[in-house]
Amino acid sequence: MSTEETTTVTVCPATELGPGERVIIEHEGEPIAVFNAGGELFAIEDRCSHDDGPLAEGEWYPADCTVECPRHGSIFDLRTGKPKTLPAFQPVRTFKVGITDENITLEV
Amino acid sequence: MATAEALAEKKKVEGINSDYEEKFGFHDPETGYAYKAPKGLNREIVEEISNYKNEPEWMREFRLKAYETFESRPTPQWGGDLDQIDFNDIHYFVRASETNSRDWSEVPEDIKNTFDRLGIPEAERKFLSGVGAQYESEVVYHQVNEKLEAQGVIFTDMDTALREHEDLLREYWATIIPPNDNKLAALNSAVWSGGSFVYVPAGVKVEMPLQAYFRINTENMGQFERTLIIAEEGSDVHYIEGCTAPVYSSDSLHSAVVEIVAKKDARVRYTTVQNWSQNVFNLVTKRAIAHEGATMEWVDCNLGSKLTMKYPSIYLLGERAHGEILSIAFAGAGQHQDAGGKIIHAAPKTTSSIFSKSISKDGGRSTYRGLLEVADGATETRSKVVCDALLLDEDSRSDTYPTIRIDENDADMGHEATVSKVGDDMLFYLQSRGLNEEDASKMIVNGFIEPVTKELPMEYAVELNRLIELQMEGSIG
Repeated sequence: MSTEETTTVTVCPATELGPGERVIIEHEGEPIAVFNAGGELFAIEDRCSHDDGPLAEGEWYPADCTVECPRHGSIFDLRTGKPKTLPAFQPVRTFKVGITDENITLEV
Repeated sequence: MATAEALAEKKKVEGINSDYEEKFGFHDPETGYAYKAPKGLNREIVEEISNYKNEPEWMREFRLKAYETFESRPTPQWGGDLDQIDFNDIHYFVRASETNSRDWSEVPEDIKNTFDRLGIPEAERKFLSGVGAQYESEVVYHQVNEKLEAQGVIFTDMDTALREHEDLLREYWATIIPPNDNKLAALNSAVWSGGSFVYVPAGVKVEMPLQAYFRINTENMGQFERTLIIAEEGSDVHYIEGCTAPVYSSDSLHSAVVEIVAKKDARVRYTTVQNWSQNVFNLVTKRAIAHEGATMEWVDCNLGSKLTMKYPSIYLLGERAHGEILSIAFAGAGQHQDAGGKIIHAAPKTTSSIFSKSISKDGGRSTYRGLLEVADGATETRSKVVCDALLLDEDSRSDTYPTIRIDENDADMGHEATVSKVGDDMLFYLQSRGLNEEDASKMIVNGFIEPVTKELPMEYAVELNRLIELQMEGSIG
């Protein structure tokens, strides 16, 4: 069982992130991307595990729940954070995301 | 071609031994060609290639997206000088024959004669399990041993694989090298044609090698084959590729993508004897993944081309996986061999070695560029990198760029590098044993590359030694 403490972070009002949209926020200097894939919310760290560059601004595919790194093309599964293609081979962190009082919130 | 023109071209191609023109550098007339795309690259050409091949919609979309990536990415400014390439002065698709035959006698006469001169049908009879022969953009001949076929081995050209094994192909396609990996991988993904598809079922050992032979005939041609090898659990396969082209005064481009999947306890060896003529830019992306207990080996011999940029890589993804890269580069006058290899230890108890040997002469330039990475958590890994360069004269150049990245404390890593010149004392010693200067020099070079040649099947070791001896001719005095 993890002993790490989590903090709840408010992202934005739920109405501001419609299906097919994404938003990137920063929490304590760490960028985090939140995606709305057909009504289901996902959050990953905005850092490609291949070369540490920004990940979430790449093309993303709501139907597959994946995002493609804009620099070298690794495709990451938003549900697990795991890469589905090289050159990345390590997962990126994922975060619990939900809606609290009509706001999208993250457990960080 | 008029004799005067031929002579003029001959003069322009510096440094290459005259035997190349006679043996490999000839070209056939283009009579009877089925299709030749106009020079240049645009969206319409990409769509035309896909339409011409009657591909499924997902592949057409894959190509078009890759084309956009190619267009949007800058030309790399590291390695060799890629700004020399005029991407609009290239034919991106040339179909020499309407047929892809399993019988040499059905291959069009000119093409068959070419492969006869290169000794391919003879090699098939003597010591190969299967052969693919690509001429221009497409494969014109493909054959695989019937016993292997009965065991479920698939060895076919990529266009046929897309038609006949679409689901299997799609499962792995571009998962090892996505189009966005680099500009040249994007170009290949947009206009790919030909190449090999190899599938080896679990437990099947392919005892004799499979070979593909790639031939460019047209001037200002781009060849963009794509190869995918899937070795299932416990299987074993050795794939060999060779390539040559005519000697022309203007440039051609070869940009391949090779993806390999070695599953649990499988073994894949991929051997390349690259002998393009010195007007070919050879820009290739090769990458393999090795799962638990698997062994992946690249044997990469680069003798020809104007500029080669190629760094076969291995991702050791499963415990106890092993990777090996043997790289040999020979850079003569006007040549730049920017080669090397990359190994990424991503799992515990993985082992690897990179042995690179380069020889530079007559102002040629060779570069070793490599990466060795041990990821956090890849404990108890062992690896060794050795890169040796031999300079045959004062005008030649060798550079070494070994990148090593270790993110794990429990790793054992060794690196050695040497640069040596063929010294007067070495030559004097051998001459005192009765050799003349040229033979003494050849002997030193042969001894230098011996660790690589001994890994090749005998026929190829002999051929490689012969090619290097030819390159060496006239190098003294």
